[in-house]
Amino acid sequence: MSAAAEAAVKKNYLTGLKEAMYEEMERNPDLICLGEDIGLLGGAFGVTDGLMDKYGKERVIDMPIAEAAIIGAGVGMALNGKTVMCEMQFIDFISCGFDQIVNMAATFHYRSAGEVSIPMVIRGPAGGYGGGALYHSQMNEAWFCNSPGLKVVCPSNPIDAKGLLTAALRDPNPVVFYEIKELYRNRKMEQELETGDDCIIPLGVARIAEVGSDITIVTYGNPVHFSLKAAEKLKAQGYSAEVIDLRSLVPLDEDTILESLSKTNRLLVVNEAPMTCGFAGEVMARMGRKGFELLDAPPARVTRTDTPVPWAKPLESTVLPSVDDIVNSALELIRY
Amino acid sequence: MAKTADPDKAAQKTAPSQTSTGLPREALSPEDYHELLMQLYLARYFDVRLIKEKKRGRLRGTLYSSHNQEAILVGALYALKSTDWISPIHRDMPAFFLKDIKAGWDNPDRLGMSIEEVCSQVWGRVDSPGRARDNWSHIGSRANKIIHSTSMLAGTIPVAAGVVYADRLDGGDAVVVTFNGEGSTSQGVFHEAVNFAAVHKLPVITIVENNHWAFGTPVELECPTPDVADRAKGYGIPGFIADGQDVLDVYDKVSMAIDHARSGKGPSIVECKTFRAYGHGDHDDDRAAKYRPDDEVAKGRSRDPIGVMKNQMIESGMLAKKDAMAHPAEGKGAGEVTDHDFPEKVVKYLSAGVDFALKSPVPDAEEALKWVFAEDED
Repeated sequence: MSAAAEAAVKKNYLTGLKEAMYEEMERNPDLICLGEDIGLLGGAFGVTDGLMDKYGKERVIDMPIAEAAIIGAGVGMALNGKTVMCEMQFIDFISCGFDQIVNMAATFHYRSAGEVSIPMVIRGPAGGYGGGALYHSQMNEAWFCNSPGLKVVCPSNPIDAKGLLTAALRDPNPVVFYEIKELYRNRKMEQELETGDDCIIPLGVARIAEVGSDITIVTYGNPVHFSLKAAEKLKAQGYSAEVIDLRSLVPLDEDTILESLSKTNRLLVVNEAPMTCGFAGEVMARMGRKGFELLDAPPARVTRTDTPVPWAKPLESTVLPSVDDIVNSALELIRY
Repeated sequence: MAKTADPDKAAQKTAPSQTSTGLPREALSPEDYHELLMQLYLARYFDVRLIKEKKRGRLRGTLYSSHNQEAILVGALYALKSTDWISPIHRDMPAFFLKDIKAGWDNPDRLGMSIEEVCSQVWGRVDSPGRARDNWSHIGSRANKIIHSTSMLAGTIPVAAGVVYADRLDGGDAVVVTFNGEGSTSQGVFHEAVNFAAVHKLPVITIVENNHWAFGTPVELECPTPDVADRAKGYGIPGFIADGQDVLDVYDKVSMAIDHARSGKGPSIVECKTFRAYGHGDHDDDRAAKYRPDDEVAKGRSRDPIGVMKNQMIESGMLAKKDAMAHPAEGKGAGEVTDHDFPEKVVKYLSAGVDFALKSPVPDAEEALKWVFAEDED
């Protein structure tokens, strides 16, 4: 199939990730992939499906169940000239490799006074709403936003999944990459995808997912779609919500948020992670300072409750943010 | 792979024999023996000089003394090629300048750090390879093939494995020697990394400096087997045991481990039996005198690596007794020893490093905010 004909086909989120992996493996012969079950099996979710057959088991390494070794060995390869992709089978398991990320990878450039950079992407399926319970539902991005030296990225759609992963794989820094597994095979949001340089979405540039004038909803990941649904409901009540998809948390595109606030004067931040020290709080703090003069109401946030994510449906629904939660908070702010 | 069951027995047969033993040391010349002795002096002098400088108030931070453990660094590093990698930790400070020093103490092209760079690091000056951003042994150099460590013990072993994985992929034949204490072998990441290296037959030599004390905890509470080298059995790799007081035995065992690794047979563990002379760090000296029994300390310090090497050289006719007595540093504590106990070459070499460091400026305050992220290369 020609590139043009291929581009005309609409593809899902997972395909976006997969294409980014294949294209970068082809473009960059120094790219090495490490992870559990990523070779023979092709990954638990299939992001690396067929990659080992094409590029060999030396570049696509089926690792033992050992996240610290996966990330640590990846750091060593990067130290010796390679670009590295480490797959976490679920992003929840990243905690098993925590020290290697925050103390080894994140600080390498700093403590070597710039001699060494670690081009490395640590990516994995994240997020709740699928009955994954405590250890297959997490959004733990705040841990890494609080660790200087890491970039943190979270795409919400196929174009961004491909474009941000391509950018991350070309970035000279370690990037923690949150994939929304509930969106992997979502057919309703399939999109046409560009190839190579044309697909790149630079890190640190937010996207206005919906233009509006009464309130700014800042979010990322799966809640982007809940916020868009909330915006529809608000429209039915005569209110216009602007939805900003951050796409990357570190670096953070403050300008796009400030510009939006200069128009709407109201800020609601939505994240799927727990409230305390979550990223929504960071956005509120920065805007509370830099955008203070722009605000007509105290900023608000919708987050998971400060609990683990439980399994049974009514329990899970209680703790995770919903469309109605967003609508209710938005109305409160608009009517403030 | 055979291991030496009894390190004391190994100590008895270290003199170069007239009949071939097949040991790697047979390839060493008398000049090599003299060089090894000189390097033992240099490592020891570095240690005692820093302790003195700290007492004079010219040094900040904590000193982690390598006193009594120098034979491990000197013997292991002497077995390496220039292009091999190393990964030292806190008690291995001399390793940074001892790496590849056999290529010439003043050879600017050798793949190791200069004494000036290492002293600048000790004094927190801008000429440190890390520009004094992290302290003590937390320096490294990709150019010199020295891995930058953190405070998380055993944390550099997976990194070392990754380094040689990449090297092998590029067609290289480098090995990596990681230095670790026996305490760090209890870390989960130790298992993860050695296991990964064994699965892929990576040329990773994991040296365990068993000095019997992990800070304030004795080895019996860290490891359930009599020898830490027994951990190797679980990975199906060789577990060598060396007499850590004997630079030649360390050289032999590490050379065997390197041969094994470079021939594609994979990783190994080399346990070097030794004893920590002082506290964990200098902050711990007073308490260490209480938590460790006096007789254990006396026994552990009874075989000074400088003296052990001298005796072997005297026995084999490489060193006259009179010359051996000219610089009697062995068996003396940092408080007892003077510059006269060391060869002039060693004193001059280190003094030049210290003088350089004291003249090197401290970093500008603004540097604290630099190098958090690498800039895009595009």
